[in-house]
Amino acid sequence: MTVDTAPVPGTAPALGSEPDLEAYLGDPHDPANPVGYPAVLAADERGELLAEGERALDGYGLNAEFVPRALGGRFDRADRLAQVLRAVFRRDTTLGVGYGVTTFIAATPVWTSGTAEQRRWMADLLLRHGKASAGYNELAHGTDFGRAALQARLDGDHFVVTGRKEMVGNLSRADAVTLFARTDDRLGSRSHSHLLLDMAALPAAHRRHLRRYHTAGVRGVLLGGLEFTDCPVPADAVVGDLGSAMETVLRAFQVTRGVLPGMAVGIVDTQLRTVLRFALDRRLYGMPVAELPHARATLVDGFLDLLISDCLATVVARALHVLPEQTSVYSAAVKYLVPKLLQEAAHRLSVVLGARSYLRDGPYAIFQKNLRDLLAATLTHASAAVCQATIIPQLPRLAQQGWRSSPPPPPALFRLADPLPPLDFAGLGLSARGMDSLTATLREYLAGPGNDPAVARLCGLFTAELDRLAEVCAELPPRDRTVIAGRRSFDLTDRYATVLAAAACLGVWWHNQDDPFLRDTPWLLAALSRLAGRLGLDPGAAPDGLERHLFIELLERHEENRGFDLVNRHLAG
Amino acid sequence: MSGTIQDTSVEAIRTWLVGRIAFYLQRSAEEIDADAPLVEIGLDSVYAMTLSGDVEERFDLEVEPTMAWDHPTVNALAGYLHGLLGSRG
Amino acid sequence: MRYPAFALAEHLDHGLGDPRDPARPASFARCVALDSREEFPAEICAELDRLGLPRFYVPAEYGGELRSYEELLHAVRILARRDLTVAIGHGKTYLGAVSAWVGATPEQARRVGAEVLAGSVISLALTEREHGSDLLAGEVSAVPTGDGYRVDGEKWLINNASRGDLVCVLARTEPAGGTRGFSLLLVDKRRLAPGTFRCLPKERTHGVRGADISGIAFTGAEVPAEALLGATGAGPEIVLKSVQLTRTMCAAMSLGLADQALRLVLDFATGHRLYDRPLVDLPHANRTLTEAYVDLLIGEATSVLTARGIHATPGELSVTSAVAKYLVPTMMDRTIPRLGQVLGARALLTEDHADGLFQKIERDHRIVGIFDGNTLVNLNTLVNQFPGLVRGYRRGVVDPGLVDTVELARPLPDFDRSRLALLSRTGCSVVQHLPAAVAEVLELVDAGIAPPALAVQAETLAGLVDGLHERMAAYRPQPRQVPAEAFGMAGEYALAFAAAACLHLWLRNRHWLSDGPTAPLWADARWLRACLHRLIGQLRPATATGSGSDDGEDYDRLLPDLRAQHHEGRLFSLLPARLAEAGAQHSESPSRLAEPAPQASESPARSAGTAAQLSEVAR
Repeated sequence: MTVDTAPVPGTAPALGSEPDLEAYLGDPHDPANPVGYPAVLAADERGELLAEGERALDGYGLNAEFVPRALGGRFDRADRLAQVLRAVFRRDTTLGVGYGVTTFIAATPVWTSGTAEQRRWMADLLLRHGKASAGYNELAHGTDFGRAALQARLDGDHFVVTGRKEMVGNLSRADAVTLFARTDDRLGSRSHSHLLLDMAALPAAHRRHLRRYHTAGVRGVLLGGLEFTDCPVPADAVVGDLGSAMETVLRAFQVTRGVLPGMAVGIVDTQLRTVLRFALDRRLYGMPVAELPHARATLVDGFLDLLISDCLATVVARALHVLPEQTSVYSAAVKYLVPKLLQEAAHRLSVVLGARSYLRDGPYAIFQKNLRDLLAATLTHASAAVCQATIIPQLPRLAQQGWRSSPPPPPALFRLADPLPPLDFAGLGLSARGMDSLTATLREYLAGPGNDPAVARLCGLFTAELDRLAEVCAELPPRDRTVIAGRRSFDLTDRYATVLAAAACLGVWWHNQDDPFLRDTPWLLAALSRLAGRLGLDPGAAPDGLERHLFIELLERHEENRGFDLVNRHLAG
Repeated sequence: MSGTIQDTSVEAIRTWLVGRIAFYLQRSAEEIDADAPLVEIGLDSVYAMTLSGDVEERFDLEVEPTMAWDHPTVNALAGYLHGLLGSRG
Repeated sequence: MRYPAFALAEHLDHGLGDPRDPARPASFARCVALDSREEFPAEICAELDRLGLPRFYVPAEYGGELRSYEELLHAVRILARRDLTVAIGHGKTYLGAVSAWVGATPEQARRVGAEVLAGSVISLALTEREHGSDLLAGEVSAVPTGDGYRVDGEKWLINNASRGDLVCVLARTEPAGGTRGFSLLLVDKRRLAPGTFRCLPKERTHGVRGADISGIAFTGAEVPAEALLGATGAGPEIVLKSVQLTRTMCAAMSLGLADQALRLVLDFATGHRLYDRPLVDLPHANRTLTEAYVDLLIGEATSVLTARGIHATPGELSVTSAVAKYLVPTMMDRTIPRLGQVLGARALLTEDHADGLFQKIERDHRIVGIFDGNTLVNLNTLVNQFPGLVRGYRRGVVDPGLVDTVELARPLPDFDRSRLALLSRTGCSVVQHLPAAVAEVLELVDAGIAPPALAVQAETLAGLVDGLHERMAAYRPQPRQVPAEAFGMAGEYALAFAAAACLHLWLRNRHWLSDGPTAPLWADARWLRACLHRLIGQLRPATATGSGSDDGEDYDRLLPDLRAQHHEGRLFSLLPARLAEAGAQHSESPSRLAEPAPQASESPARSAGTAAQLSEVAR
């Protein structure tokens, strides 16, 4: 295995150590940094993945982050994976998606259902910087996997593959493709299988690359298509049992959907920093923009949205380890809600940045790139509607049991510094069976002795909301429990996801009283009030000076060049 | 579940299943063909998993969420559940 | 049944041809390609010159054919739905010239009119690199030289600064600045001495990539005395009055872009299948479509009343133009991405799906909220007028011009620039007449003419608007540090305006519009109920998880109307307008065209005249 020495300011980490990707990527504003914003923006203009960035990530060994530790990689914690990738997303979403996420999505089904040999093969490929591509999408069927048409017919000792996949990242240059193929003509959920393709071994005459798809966001990502015509594939390429792909997907995508939103937090971390920089530098009507009350409120709200998003993302990522039987609901909720919160925050921030949010040059040019990229990151790998449709069928049972009587989660769910048990991909539950321990935290806190009255009052709003949700969801008309459900069911998932976010914030505050920032009550009160407002509930008047308190925290982090998320760490530059 | 006595004959299970499916699809029980694949009569794969939740509640029995994938008709499901419930003694 | 204000828009759209035909110069495919090459749509702008559009930028009294701002609104809307870069690139000449219509002497204005009619490009240069919307901090100076002015400094982010033949520059004429320290100079670039000005390079932008958004730097540029527009020191006042006209036109750009976004998504949703049924039959997806449709109808009602108000209630434009410029772009900034969710990843494609048009619309639209007075500037304008708005509401002040404003079939008085005001003395009649409109609705319900559900909505709305004014009354104006809550109230006020606009429009036009292609929308007050539903929902966020029933029937009822307008190639509108896609006029029943609706006989001779002139222009 060769490691390219990338021309990057930091030093390349050794496998097995705990390397620091953020420091490794260097000062984003340094024009001489090959992976700084100027280089990132120029690559975006060219519609290319930043080559120096890919070399740098090879040098860092980013693929190792996707490989379980047992197979020689660094993946042992989903929350940590999101944090590492967040450094890439903070810098260049295109690189994050085009180098990182695509490979991660392709590898996860193999970790979930592959044989020991298949997992070894995939791990080795990734550890030597190989590219894996996730062959799911067919434009005619999109998110409706059950109707995916690309066919693999078993013929003796091999499959014969015919059909096409479209708009798939890295398909044109992948070493491995995890292919979602129809292996049974019948409609049904046992009719598809994953085939793990070794692209080097496939006969070239039977496959044809389609031209690249160009997009407005993540412009450098190589979205390609592949058409197979009677292409022979060895029978042992099948991942898991024949006909088991749907089940594998339902497990593997809990991991990918559970982790992606935590990465995307990095995009809005940069957006907030960019607008704060503008608001401090720019004078309007005789004062810095940051002193205009509306601008200040928008900045503080953006900070809160970031903290809320990170609380939910981090807790759901940890739940993959701690509460794997419940994450079918949580992973869909986080992939639905967090991109939405981030999108709304970025839009409000754009109003403060004004005309500068529209320029592709100058000191704030990264903002417009991130606007486009955030939209793309939101739409890829399960749209809002797909995630909501995953939750809807589970609502009635949650309403009948889980929201009233689930046991509270172990504190490890929230204790950010606590170790986590290994992620058991095969142990992820396909359905939560009506269990919801995360929201049980709200009731647990309320029942406990000596709780903070202000916190308790806000928590009471969310448990009352949950009671109302339970009433409505238990009585949902049949059709509203299905994929053809009406708007009301979709609205219910939005409200439920918001309650989950509130529970995540509460838990993070409650169980991290040793953290100098997190133990502080004001941020929690502000976050819960903001979530209550989102539901149209009256959080009551904010305590005096709350906004000011948070603005000072925001300024301090900015001056000390620390991130605005839960990790609150020093950034490069 | 407390000691409710359930009729676990194939016929009773089938009638109950047809009733649930008719409820979801908002059709009358007579319209549900017990031999038709559930997907064809409108029960999507994710959605078919809700049926396993109903089964668990009704019979106090833990089943795979994918139960309806592997036994994709009403009759197949009824037979499968009858086997499970019978073996429970 | 005829709505003559669409005549110019239809003339332009049909003149440019079916945008789906890639062979046309103004096709969607060509516009997307120009955008990706960052190329100015010169050929399309030349075509618009040929179609006679510049004549509609110049008021009739100064030699052109601009008689109705309502007509101009729809023209801008129809151009924006095809390509915002075209709408901006061509329409900016109106923006450059408008200061003359508002503030110049008649002789000057006629001269400017002649320039526009001759095809000159005029640009408006207000903003500077360091000062953005803070116009009174501007540093570009004009120092009297005896026989003219010497201009120094740089204007930046100026549309058509490089392409423009003339540039209308806001310059500091008093070193100390202040509200009387700036003047407007119409600088003729063709007559400047070489070396005394320099056009800055075109800025690369997020959307409208072909637009000439650049700047101009003056170094000792000598301009003659007659370049001064209006009085010395009158610059800020003229600008503030001019933007009352142009901001209304910005709302039209949002309407046009959102119209085409909805059209694209409907194209997809009717053809694409998901879970074994057409996407448009999935309740969640079609609700997104009907909500967008309702947003468009709300935006149309708001914009049309504001545009008619330019003629009928010009003294209130400081309020109404700020409402329209804030509300419509802000609403569509939300609506367009929501529509994109229905397309999924296709919404991102730059070439492959429907010419890659959706992503362009999404990028383009974001500029509408930014330029010509951004969101915050407009909200601030409203906040500053809270005391007058509260007074007007409490006293029930109604300008007599409101009748002409809301009744679409009535002739509009000529625009009278002397009636423009920086602050409205009568508040905002549309909102102040809401209680009377609510009372009228209740009577109609009692009489069995309007559906009972409308009574509940009207009363709910009245309560919400009363409460809003109480909160506005408690606000104590602060010149600089305007609290965020005040912006929130101003946003609610804009929603209240929109709701009142919808009510008035329905009450005063339901008779004559009960016939014609959009008649079903007007039956049962169908469109009104959906619009009020949406606006009430935004004025009063749900307090808790709702009861058992989906309360969205108001939206669902509009689905057939939406699909019909889509299918027939009509603008998504309360009023009938045929797009180029629908082909030539012959499919319109000739008898209907010939047969005037009862009220249409009252309709302005002038509007009929406009249609006649159009056919003349088209020759």
